Parts: sequence; structure tokens; C-alpha cells
Amino acid sequence: MSNFLNHLPVLVIIFPLAATLLCPLLGHFSRDFSKRAVIFGLFLSMVCAFIQLIQVIKNGEPIHYFIGGWMPPIGIEFVIDGLNGLIIVLVSTISWMTSLFSSPFELLERGNELRSVGYYTILCFLAVGLLGMSSTGDAFNLYVFMEITALSGYGLIAIGEEKGPIAAFRYLMTGTIGASMYLLGVGFLYALTGTLNMADLAVRLADSHDSPLIIASIACLIIGFGIKMALFPLHGWQPAAHSYAHPAADPMIAGIMIKIPAYAMLRFFFCIFDKSSPIIETFFTAISIMAICGILYGSLKALRYDTYNKILAFSSIGQVGYIAMGFAIGNFYGLIGAVLHIVSHAFMKVGLFYTSAALKYKYDIHKISELGQVYRKMPVTSLTMVVCALSMVGLPPFAGFFSKWYLALGAIEKGQYIFVAVLIVSSLLGVIYFFRIFENMFMGEFNAIGTDNPVKGKFEVPWQLIIPMCMVIVAIVALGLFNSFIINKVLKVTVLEVFLG
Amino acid sequence: MEKHLHRRKQRKKRIIAMIILIIAVAASTFELATFLPTIGELNTPANSYISEYYIENAVEDTHSYNIVTAVLADYRGFDTLFETCVMFLSGITAMMVLSTKDKVSKSIEKKSDDVNIFESDIMDNAFRIIIPIIMIYGIYVLAHGEISLGGGFQAGALLASAYLLDKIIPGFRTVLDRITEEFALVVAGVGSFIYLSTGLLPMFNGGNFLEYGKLPFGSKSIETVGYLHSTGILLIEVGVTICVAGVIIAILEVVLERTSFDE
Repeated sequence: MSNFLNHLPVLVIIFPLAATLLCPLLGHFSRDFSKRAVIFGLFLSMVCAFIQLIQVIKNGEPIHYFIGGWMPPIGIEFVIDGLNGLIIVLVSTISWMTSLFSSPFELLERGNELRSVGYYTILCFLAVGLLGMSSTGDAFNLYVFMEITALSGYGLIAIGEEKGPIAAFRYLMTGTIGASMYLLGVGFLYALTGTLNMADLAVRLADSHDSPLIIASIACLIIGFGIKMALFPLHGWQPAAHSYAHPAADPMIAGIMIKIPAYAMLRFFFCIFDKSSPIIETFFTAISIMAICGILYGSLKALRYDTYNKILAFSSIGQVGYIAMGFAIGNFYGLIGAVLHIVSHAFMKVGLFYTSAALKYKYDIHKISELGQVYRKMPVTSLTMVVCALSMVGLPPFAGFFSKWYLALGAIEKGQYIFVAVLIVSSLLGVIYFFRIFENMFMGEFNAIGTDNPVKGKFEVPWQLIIPMCMVIVAIVALGLFNSFIINKVLKVTVLEVFLG
Repeated sequence: MEKHLHRRKQRKKRIIAMIILIIAVAASTFELATFLPTIGELNTPANSYISEYYIENAVEDTHSYNIVTAVLADYRGFDTLFETCVMFLSGITAMMVLSTKDKVSKSIEKKSDDVNIFESDIMDNAFRIIIPIIMIYGIYVLAHGEISLGGGFQAGALLASAYLLDKIIPGFRTVLDRITEEFALVVAGVGSFIYLSTGLLPMFNGGNFLEYGKLPFGSKSIETVGYLHSTGILLIEVGVTICVAGVIIAILEVVLERTSFDE
């Protein structure tokens, strides 16, 4: 048993990886085997992630896992502390939920066995890549996982709706530039230090924080991570990619694929570079300008679209801006707000995209003007949408309020009142575009959808769609109610010691 | 006419923007180059910190006389595992993206089967001799990767190229004709899984993931640790070879099935 516990950090990745590698083999016998293998693998990974987080909290110190038994900096290590333990739990939970959520969608593709098996393989690889990105303590290993994430993202976008291949191609081009920029940045750091381990990088960079190579490296890293997390003005690929991806995989692409690069950016800027040097301050100012523009741009753009997914995609640009703003504030409350927003926004966006996929599944609704009193037919879907939207706007009992609250606290503590103003303005804009959706949903014309019901069964949609949506509601309420527990028990130690120490 | 003019104007603007961008990037690159360490200089951090450890200890640690292989497959074996997965993933993705296109109907394919386009027995016979040699060379590259240049990726490409030759020469469709894209991807997945399970074995023997020194073969005395490491490297190279060969064949099959050679 203790042997099993020692290997937890790597087991979180091995279970889904084994499932996805054997997926085509199992699919050779029966398509259902591959599906079940992926769902089971992700479930095991989720269990491991929870046990791992509990262990981290109990021990009060990070877990180090040396892969291959080589001590860093010679080998690669996984470092799990409170912060990325939480992120890993988030990623594995959402991946498992999404794999469950996908199963009715692949029934629509019966007759094309290849596609269903391939879909599960790629989806599981996306989970593996994201889990790896959040666990690793090695800068180059992060790049490898980033590559896996990006490739599976391209695949899932390309097999989506009609315009999917074009969106995927655009993302492929931009994403490749982002990955190369990241690699270039790491290359500069390697030239300066001769090491790739993050903790070791921090030690060896301590006396050279004003070298021009570091400036170039930080600029490259900002561009790289900025493209991956769709930070304004590097967001060009994002709206199309999030709108036209495979509907079942879209929650994961929109929900967590842009959050994990944000987490990685946090790790780089607060763990590796010296926060007090004037150069970093300048770059933080640049990031904060990008964040403010992004928040306003995303919220304003979301107002003018009628397509449900486009509204959500542009709102994501704004929300990623919040996270970047938290980094730019850079004090305790700012970072707590940013991390909480990574978690809570992941759940909110995933929930909203679940509802979008459920609407597509049942009535093939793409536009909000077609919603017309859909709540009568799909109460759970509508409830999920309302909870997620209210949380996005920032109403108190839900998770979204608290992350914004901490961001505002951080901004006030640092005396940057413009952030508070932007926060309030964009929340009000959020009210407008979400209430447009509500208006159509609850008060719109009761149109033809009442007659046409392609899905048979006890519930409005198959139970595989209902369970993830209910889990999202529970998660959003729980994250709101127990946020002080999460901060005090999980995040406080890590943020104070590792990021601000 | 006006539209045309407008478009030309826009293109001009784009070209100017591009030139400015190229000049800016080039200038900053030249500026940066002065701060980068000279290639081959010994006293730079890149050449004196971890690399020094690798150069001094790789042979003793891993019994692999090719230091590149030692770093790739052992010290940073975890990266290579996922590079292999990237190969597998790209094969799957290529198949998924192209699978929406209809397959060329069988009747056309059969017709081209009967006709030998080159009408050349000499060529057929020549390839009959070349293909086994390529395959043997592939295995040699795989096994020799530890000592000299080579390794799993190259070996896989060579093995796949033997199949490729067999496939692209009409009239010589006898030996390996039966690999479908599904089967090739199954093989590729199993190849990566061999890599993964090589990493898993030490975990049942008290080691960490991918810790070849704890592989459950042989006795545990100190002298055998190096041999165990080279065994582990060979095992994962086999996995990489199978994966790469499978993926290349799968991509080839996916593309070939949807292309007609009638034109």
C-alpha cells in the first residue's frame, strides 16, 4: 500500500496513458471496450489525484517524484504542492466528467467505428497532456506535454463541426508559433544556466536577473503562454476553435485547455524569475495592460454575437484576462484570486459548454435566438446554465463571486483601483450578455422545438449528460461555500512559501 | 475595379508590414546573438553543468556508449516516452481528420491492381531483393542505437519504408498487403505500450517509474545495474520502433486509400 502511495504523482498520468494507448487494440474487439477503458482510466486518475491532494495537505510539504530514479537536475522530477495538487484534481475531475459526457455523442456516429475509437484516444491524450503540464517540475518536460495537449486539441477541433478543419488549421499555425516561442524562451534560460529543472533554474538565475537573455526569454515566454491561454491580443485562434470543436470535447477544450498554460505561466513567473527585479515589474505592467484590454474586449465582443458558443468563447477571453490580472497584481490576495478563478472558471465554462452540447444534442440549437422557452423541455440543462451564468457574473453564493472578490481585495491592497473598475464594468457587461441568453430561454417565443424530440428516454437527455451537469452545479456551489477551507488548508501554505517566499 | 485596387493596396500594406517585422526580428536576433554563448566554448553554463555530469558518468551509469542515447532513453526517458506518444497521436489525428473523406471504391483499386504500371520485371525483382536488406538494416539500426548512431525512431522509419516500397510498386503486392490503417494503429499503440510497461516493471520491484536499474531481470548486485540499464534502453527502443513503423504505415494507408491513381 505504501508502495502504491509513493507512486501517486506518476500514477495519475499512467492510468489514462495506458488506457489511451490500448484504446485502438480494445476497439478492435469492441468499440465499447475502448470507451470503458478510457472512462475507467480517467476515473482511477481522479481517485489518485484526490488521494495525492489529501497527502500533500496532511504532510504540509510538496511531494517530489524522481522519474527513472535520477535526482534532479540530471533527471526529470514531478513536484506536487498544494496549488498544483488542486489543479490536478480539477483537470482529472473534468476529464472524467467529459469522457462520460461524450459517450452518447459517439452513438450518433455509429457505423464509423474508427471515429469513435479515435475520438476517445485523442480525448484521453488531451487529459494526459494537461495532467502532465500541471505536475511536472521540468521546463522541457512541460514543453513535451504542451505539445501533446496542443496536438490532441488540433485533432478534436478538426473533427468538429463543418468549419472545424479551418479553425484547427488556424490554431495549428498560431499554436506552433506559441510552442516555438516557449521553446526559444527555455533555450535562452538553458544557455544562461545549463539546467532545465525549474527549482534549479530559480537558484542559478538568482545572480543574473538583468541579463538581456532573461529579458528575451521572458518576452518569448509571455508570447508562448499568451498564445496558449488566448490572452488578448494573442487570442486570434480562440473564438473559432472554441465554437467549432467537437461538441462533446468542447467543454474540455474551452474549460481547461486555456487554464493550464495560465497555471504554467504562474509557475514560471513566480517560482523561477526574481519577482522583485525591475524587469519583471515592467513585464507585469505589460501583462496587466493586456489583461485589462482583454477583459473589456472580450466582454464587449460577446455582446454582439448570436451564436451561443461564440458568446462563451469571447467571454473566455475576458475571463483569462482576470487570471492574468491576478498575476499582475502579484500579492497574496491577487494570486489567490487568480488560482481560484482558474478553478472556478474552469467549472463554469465547462458547465456552460455542457449545456451548449446538450442543446446541440437534443435540438441542434446553435443560436440563442432559437432557444425559445427551452427550459420547459430541458430543466436540468437550463438550471446548469443559470447557475454557471450567475457564477460568471459574480453573484455571492457561487464560486465566481469569491475569485473576483479576492482579485478586488488584492487590487485594493496594491492601490490599483483601475483593476477594480474594470472588474465591475466587465461584470456588468457579463450581466448583459448572459441575460440576453436568459431572456431567450425563459421569455422567448415558444417555437417549434416543442414538437420535435429526437431523444427517447426517461430524462430530457441521456443520463451520461445529466450527471456531469449536476456535478458542475455541485462543484460551483461547493467552491463558493467552502472557499475559505480551500484557501486556508490547500493554497495558503503554497502561495506564501513557494510563490511569495 | 475598385475592389481590385483595394485588394492590391491591402497586399502592399501587408508586404510592408512583413518587411518591417522581418527587419525587427532580424535586428533583435543579431543583438541577442552577442549575449549567447559561443558554440563549443567550454566555460559556458550550458557546457559545464549537467552536460559535464552526462559526459563523465553516462557510460558507467547506463552501459550505453552513445551518450545521446543515454540522455534520450535513460536520463530523460520520460520525455522520449511522450515523444513516442506524440507520434502515435499524430497518426490517430491524421486518420480522424481524413476519415471523413470517402474511400476510393474497391473496383477502381482492383483495376489498377491487375495492371502493372511500370511493366518491368527487373524493377519488381530488384525491389524483391532490396526490401529484405532494408528490413535487416532497420533491425541493425535499432540494436546498434546504444553504441553508435541510430535508435528506435530511425529503425521504425526504415522498417516502414520497406513496407512503403512494397506498397507503391504495383504488381508486387504479395507479402505485406494485408495491413489496414486500423491494424497499423493498433500496432503503434501496442508499441508505445511496450515503452510504458518497461517503465512500469521497476515499480513492482521497488523502483521508480522508468528506473531501469530496478528491472526484475537478473541478480541485484552492483555490476549488473549498468546491464539492466542497457536492457531497459533496448526494450524501449523496440517499443519506439514498433510505434514509429505503425504510425508511418497508418498515415500512408490513410492517404493511399483516399487517393486514386487513375489519372
